[in-house]
Amino acid sequence: MDIVGLANYAVFMAILVGIYALLALGLNIQWGFSGLFNAGIAGFFAIGAYTSAILTSLPASGRVGGFELPMVLGLLAAMAVAALIAWPIGKICLRFRSDYLAIATIGVAEIIRLVVRTEDWLTGGVRGITGIPRPFGDLPYMESQMAYLAIVAVLLLAAYLLVERQLKAPWGRMMRAIRDNENAAAAMGKRVADRRLQAFVFGSALMGLAGALFVHFNRSVTPEAIDPMIATFLIWIMLILGGSGNNRGAILGAAVIWVIWSVSELLTDRLPTEIAIQAKYVRVFIIGLTLQLVLRFRPEGILPERQHGGGTAPPRA
Amino acid sequence: MTLLDFLNFYLVPGIVLGAIYAVGAIGITLVFGILRFAHFAHGDMATLGAFIALALAASGMDPWVALPLAMAITAVIAIGVDRSFYDYLSRRPKILTVMASLGVALMLRAVVQVVWGVDPTTYVTGIVRPEEYFGILLRPRELNTLLTVVLIVVGLELFLRKSKWGKAMRAMSDNPDLARLSGVDNRKVTMLTWAIVGALCTASGFMLGINTELHSMMGWQLLLPMFAAAILGGVGRVQGAVLGGLIVGITEELSVFVVPAQYKAATAFALLLIILLVRPRGLLNGKVL
Amino acid sequence: MNKKTIATLVGSLLGAAVLAAPAHAQNVKIGLLAGISGPIAAMAPGMLDASRLAIAQVNEQGGILNNGKLEFTIGDSACNPQNATDAATKAVNIDRVVAIVGPSCSGAVLAAANSVTIPAGVLMVTPSGTSPEITKLNDKDLVFRTLPSDDYQGRALARSLLERGTKTVAVAYLNNDYGKGLAESFKAEFEAKGGKLAGYSGHEGGKASYRSDLAQLARGGADTLVIFDYGDGTGLTILRQALENGFFKQYVGADGMKIDSIIRSLGEKNLANFFTSAPVGEATQALELFNKAFAAAGHDPNAVFATSAYDAAFLVALAIEKAGGDKAKLSEALRAVASGPGEPILPGEWAKAKKLIAEGKDIDYKGAGGDHEFDQAGDVPGTYALFKVANGTYEAIADMK
Repeated sequence: MDIVGLANYAVFMAILVGIYALLALGLNIQWGFSGLFNAGIAGFFAIGAYTSAILTSLPASGRVGGFELPMVLGLLAAMAVAALIAWPIGKICLRFRSDYLAIATIGVAEIIRLVVRTEDWLTGGVRGITGIPRPFGDLPYMESQMAYLAIVAVLLLAAYLLVERQLKAPWGRMMRAIRDNENAAAAMGKRVADRRLQAFVFGSALMGLAGALFVHFNRSVTPEAIDPMIATFLIWIMLILGGSGNNRGAILGAAVIWVIWSVSELLTDRLPTEIAIQAKYVRVFIIGLTLQLVLRFRPEGILPERQHGGGTAPPRA
Repeated sequence: MTLLDFLNFYLVPGIVLGAIYAVGAIGITLVFGILRFAHFAHGDMATLGAFIALALAASGMDPWVALPLAMAITAVIAIGVDRSFYDYLSRRPKILTVMASLGVALMLRAVVQVVWGVDPTTYVTGIVRPEEYFGILLRPRELNTLLTVVLIVVGLELFLRKSKWGKAMRAMSDNPDLARLSGVDNRKVTMLTWAIVGALCTASGFMLGINTELHSMMGWQLLLPMFAAAILGGVGRVQGAVLGGLIVGITEELSVFVVPAQYKAATAFALLLIILLVRPRGLLNGKVL
Repeated sequence: MNKKTIATLVGSLLGAAVLAAPAHAQNVKIGLLAGISGPIAAMAPGMLDASRLAIAQVNEQGGILNNGKLEFTIGDSACNPQNATDAATKAVNIDRVVAIVGPSCSGAVLAAANSVTIPAGVLMVTPSGTSPEITKLNDKDLVFRTLPSDDYQGRALARSLLERGTKTVAVAYLNNDYGKGLAESFKAEFEAKGGKLAGYSGHEGGKASYRSDLAQLARGGADTLVIFDYGDGTGLTILRQALENGFFKQYVGADGMKIDSIIRSLGEKNLANFFTSAPVGEATQALELFNKAFAAAGHDPNAVFATSAYDAAFLVALAIEKAGGDKAKLSEALRAVASGPGEPILPGEWAKAKKLIAEGKDIDYKGAGGDHEFDQAGDVPGTYALFKVANGTYEAIADMK
């Protein structure tokens, strides 16, 4: 082991943390600020991922595209298509409350996942799409990683600033008012359904962006990337443990949880090699247990929601 | 295709599958109704229960005899899980308990994988050819499965309606504060709920295992259809969960007539979405938490 | 601020790890990546045990290079690209492996190769990624596989069935890269050679009942069902439900179905009409040598992809020996030790191979799961045999051409 290896590993982790942080930010808009229980994150992640993949990849026989468009267009289209698809879904599903909304969005995400797996002409089916460009991908390993990290970091920062600005604006105050007391907000003449839909669409666009960034990083995408555990539930854990309602909390949560996820393997690798395979199951146990410990000692999240003026209660489930 | 073929190869399998989903969905809906959160560890708890029954059966017991014993053991484990990981979060926003249950799911699965490994295994070796009842083909294990489900549902309904503790559970489900004011011990009701949920988990895992195989991912893979069944029937409604389970099971088996088999899993969700559009709180008008 | 905290946290954790690891300059480390957690969890232990058998044989028979030990680190690629890239990054950067055996699942292979091992210049030999997309990778000759592409096996199986007089079949395949790849190549060859498909349908894994799928397939009137699935997953469920309901008279699977769980769960007497194909080497004793050694180590030789995982690890060890431990020369060395001409080396013959390499002679590894003559893209052509269940295990009954 040496410092270069360590740095490479840290850069890699930071890239994935950045991508997960975008997902957590998107979820924070939906849940943290608007109280929408979206359990279909993987679906919007997938839409973004495949949109950008189809637009930017090399042409391939047997499916639509690729169109070899520049990555910037891919990213923009990923956000746009994710938003576009989120709009009718939100229009239909947002009338359901809490757990009904959760299962409806899980259902939508599962249907999207099965479409992605089955419709070869669109997504390449189970074989996925390859030949997706990665910016600065021809540089040597470390430089290429650093360059990609820079792209992810800039986009994350931009998303963070944008979301923060929105929340400090009257829009954000209104969203919190709707979340905390819907009836009162409606009585004051706020168009609750429209605002919710906006939050849902906005959050989904960020999830689409994260999906696109993930596929350009890997130059490929297959349906295995949109497993509900790794692309939905994990992001929920990140947001709730990081601090729902706080954007920095969402980003920090992504970092902490991914580091737990990743570094736990280095710890269990210290177990004797005779039980090297069992050690991996132990690792999963440790991940579960660490979640419990964080919940026990920081149940309000690592960075709790800041009090905006009049004192807002944390979101209720 | 004859009517008998339809019954034997599409409808009956759908009902058996639906019955298994139903038992899982009852547990989920009880946690929803009384403790008010989505219990994501439900599938993995079912896996654990199924493997405990396997351990008992391996000592020479008939699997169906091992089942009640395994249900009792898992009931105790479920209470332990609640005490260690859920209970102290009960005054916090419920989303935290949901997250805790995701962590518990990972932990339970890891325990199963360390103790029993990851190879698929069965309660009994060999295959069972069905017997014919007026043209309907059924195996003893399928009859037993259906009987067990009926017993569980009837028993649970009687318990909830007639017994003191059952009434307390229903009271807490309807209004916890009011229940407490009228002298219901929330703590004991919570314990009782977990005991029942643990037992139900084992029953669903066992019946899945005896009708197919046991493996460490079996419960997790059935979690989403079970949730769909619970929500379909209406949150907190036991009969709703049974109805939902049967509908999901039968829909999945019949879906091959309409869509390619790859979309089997999607049909249950598509149906769920359609039903929610018409009845936003499920078939039996569940509660909004 | 956040990143700094993380860096410190990681740094201190890793610092502890460094102190714990003793330093052996001449030792060489390889990474074994497999989908230990996740949807194909049942498959991983058999593959890892097989790779570890190869490593143990190396270390028992004189070690690697100059009295060094071949070390390994195991990574959990979990069958998804997120965890696979993470595991590969750790193996490459923290454990400093010179080569990677794995990972499982084609999506994991594509992502780990594209974003980690190819840029870092690390050799990857996957024993289970079967997608044709892997062939298309722009891999600087760093990605190989020891499992023949599904195309060969599907076609060989189609020809064998036709030769044996089976003209009409139904096909049930698992909808993933493995099942679908096999099904498509089987279909193409079977129909081109005059066979008739009386049913053809994919299914998703992890469901509890496939009886209606099977009933639909049986309606086509075929007597033979071809199952492209894993015997430690839904393949077992499908075979059980098909047998119990008597939907078909004969059942045929590919290498994913050649697994002990099937015999153990369903019972040998029920499997008289069950056949599977599996890749075998040109020298049939290669497979026997592996089976014997693997069984002696207490493992199931019929575990899915065990032979390809063993061959991958053994080949990587040979390549390291041949290249003198030079990472940059590994792929060239791999091609040299795997392809003819040269003195044939069978599974487990490490001491012999080491001696020949030291003498500067050419060797040609004849593996348990094939001869592994890599083509331009790093793929191997397959040779296959048809197996049936007998005496509690699988016995080869015919070669497949």
